[in-house]
Amino acid sequence: MFAYTVRRLLQMIPLLFAASVVIFTLLALQPGDPLDELRQQNPRITAEQLEQLRRAYGLDQPIYVRYFKWLGRALQGDFGQSRTYATPAAQIIFAERLPRTLVLSGAALLLALLVAIPVGIFSAVRQYSAADYIITFLSFVGFSMPIFFLGILLLFLFAFWLPEQIPGFPKFPVQSVSDLQWYQVQTGEVSFFQYIGDWAFKLILPVLALSTIQMASWTRYMRASLLEVLNQDYIRTARAKGLGERVVLYKHALRNALIPIITLVGLAIPGVFGGAVITETIFSYPGMGRAILDSLIDKDYNVAMAALAFLAMLTALFNLLADLMYAVVDPRIRYS
Amino acid sequence: MAAVASASRNKSQSTWALAWRRFKKHKAAMVSLWVVVALVLMALLAPWIAPYSPTAQPTGEDLATKYFQGPSREHLLGTDDLGRDVLSRIIYGARISLLVGFVAAFAAALIGTTLGVIAGYFSGRPLRFYLGPLARAADGWKPWPFALWRVTSWVILYGLLLFLADLAWRLAGPNVQALFSGATSVNNILSLLGLVAAWGALLAVGVWGLFGQGKVDLDVVISRFMDFMLTIPELPLLLVLSALLRDTQGAAGRWAQAVFGEAASVFIIIAIIVLFGWVGTARLIRGAVLSLREQEFTTAAQALGASDARIMFRHLVPNALAPLIVNATLAIGGAIITEATLSFLGFGIQPPVATWGNMLNNAQVYVFDAPWLALAPGFMIFITVLAFNYLGDGLRDALDPRSRL
Repeated sequence: MFAYTVRRLLQMIPLLFAASVVIFTLLALQPGDPLDELRQQNPRITAEQLEQLRRAYGLDQPIYVRYFKWLGRALQGDFGQSRTYATPAAQIIFAERLPRTLVLSGAALLLALLVAIPVGIFSAVRQYSAADYIITFLSFVGFSMPIFFLGILLLFLFAFWLPEQIPGFPKFPVQSVSDLQWYQVQTGEVSFFQYIGDWAFKLILPVLALSTIQMASWTRYMRASLLEVLNQDYIRTARAKGLGERVVLYKHALRNALIPIITLVGLAIPGVFGGAVITETIFSYPGMGRAILDSLIDKDYNVAMAALAFLAMLTALFNLLADLMYAVVDPRIRYS
Repeated sequence: MAAVASASRNKSQSTWALAWRRFKKHKAAMVSLWVVVALVLMALLAPWIAPYSPTAQPTGEDLATKYFQGPSREHLLGTDDLGRDVLSRIIYGARISLLVGFVAAFAAALIGTTLGVIAGYFSGRPLRFYLGPLARAADGWKPWPFALWRVTSWVILYGLLLFLADLAWRLAGPNVQALFSGATSVNNILSLLGLVAAWGALLAVGVWGLFGQGKVDLDVVISRFMDFMLTIPELPLLLVLSALLRDTQGAAGRWAQAVFGEAASVFIIIAIIVLFGWVGTARLIRGAVLSLREQEFTTAAQALGASDARIMFRHLVPNALAPLIVNATLAIGGAIITEATLSFLGFGIQPPVATWGNMLNNAQVYVFDAPWLALAPGFMIFITVLAFNYLGDGLRDALDPRSRL
């Protein structure tokens, strides 16, 4: 197991190297270099000065040389400067944006799991009941729903239409960022619960939008996985020897049914991070996804590169983690 | 006797007739089939059934009253921020969505199947891949495609070595020159050592390249490439690629315009969806082929002297057709969502061409004042994707009754 983990970690290195080469090249090929804007802002800038700047930014060198220079610095944690914010790109992505996206994605994943597993179990146990049909239908609806449409729909309903129709209905915010800052809690200006409550209230809609697809598909998989296990011989044996239905379900069936779900969850996590682009755009939430989109629009490629490299690493790590977890929970699987 | 009679009647039914019978039992899938047929007809007949042109803007007096009209008898779904008829734009938008969905799913299935079947079939059977110019080997020039590849591979290998040697010089060169002109520092000495090590390694590879020969397992290559594709964050990379290829100022964008011509942005979107879309199909087919190639009918075909290509595409692929069809159907819905997502974020098909995604992007701003602008395209995307998902579900029950999901 240890040897396998080490080997997989070593295999990740060429994989991540290749991924970063591709991402870097695609970003470097994007038309319009950082100097274009400078030229527009300052029409009196001379060709000589531009050439000097070009050399200072290293733009006079071919892409592959620039890549290795970037790689050398990035391995030391230096991802270059953001042009838009004039601060280090690493600080924007890892210190400001990443924690916000972690909160949003983490809450969405948790919500999806907390709903999907019990509902999936319920649906499988009551197979072919009216409730099962409704749940199956709703899960189909859930993962056919484009996240951007769901987001707009939620905004329209909960931030505008329902509060207008029903007096006293809480009006949800259009912007999902709380004005309260952590230092206000420290100075005692607002209480801790006020702070948490305000953030939670503003995050409800985006979390709901982001979690729906995963919720729906995991419900479906949970149901199918449990149904398959319930048809196995050892379940019949467990029932035949007189075990209670609860014990059969939770001790014998569920443990085996959860195994494929663990892999699914592990593989979905990086996708949720990447997919947060859409949710963060609709709900004006300044997280990492929004940073990627903005940096592409503003041609702020150091920021984009830092964020994309991080996402690639996250994906590779969670792929490995999913495989390892699989072996941990299922003793039949042995990696050698 | 009755049982015998019905058995003999069933016997005359083909696999497809049986599948159709199972499919008809799936009510939601049958409804979805009609929905898809209706959508396709709507897309094909768009110029005849759309009440207005999708890009026509109002002219004349009282312009202000013609923007943001609510649903009315003249404009069943109202008008948008430029006074264009929403219903007509929805009808024309179906063309883009369905075109992207069908073409992207079909192309991804085609590429995925080819690579998947190659990976599965040749797994564990390394193929001759490199043969140096001075290597002694029997049949060194046969068959002729290999002879061609053999020479090409020399050019690639030595070109690559030259490139790497040049790269090492560019990275370490300035420091080494500084060292020889008297500036002794740890950094400069390390640069010299690195340069010597790199050039030494490249020289060793160059010598090996003259005499050596190499074999490669195509499965390992393709599987590693699929792992690599799965490591790249998909949605952000789609945004990057779309920005790169659609921008007509850059070289890549000009190239894409030249290749795809008039409808460039549509085909660029299709191409980049396919770029990420084939991986799922390839994995599926590879898994199926790995088990199918061990079965007797494959051995029989090999014993009869069938060529590798014939076994792969006439014997193995048809046996993996059921999951392939299901997968492709679900992929249509996926491609439609991806296109709409890109267009929604402003990185897809650009206005004034009407697509459901860019209509939503536009409508997002006005959602509180003119909700019908957002509801109509969003609802259309949702219904279309739902229909394809149910269709895939019904096909799975019909074609692949043993699979569980």
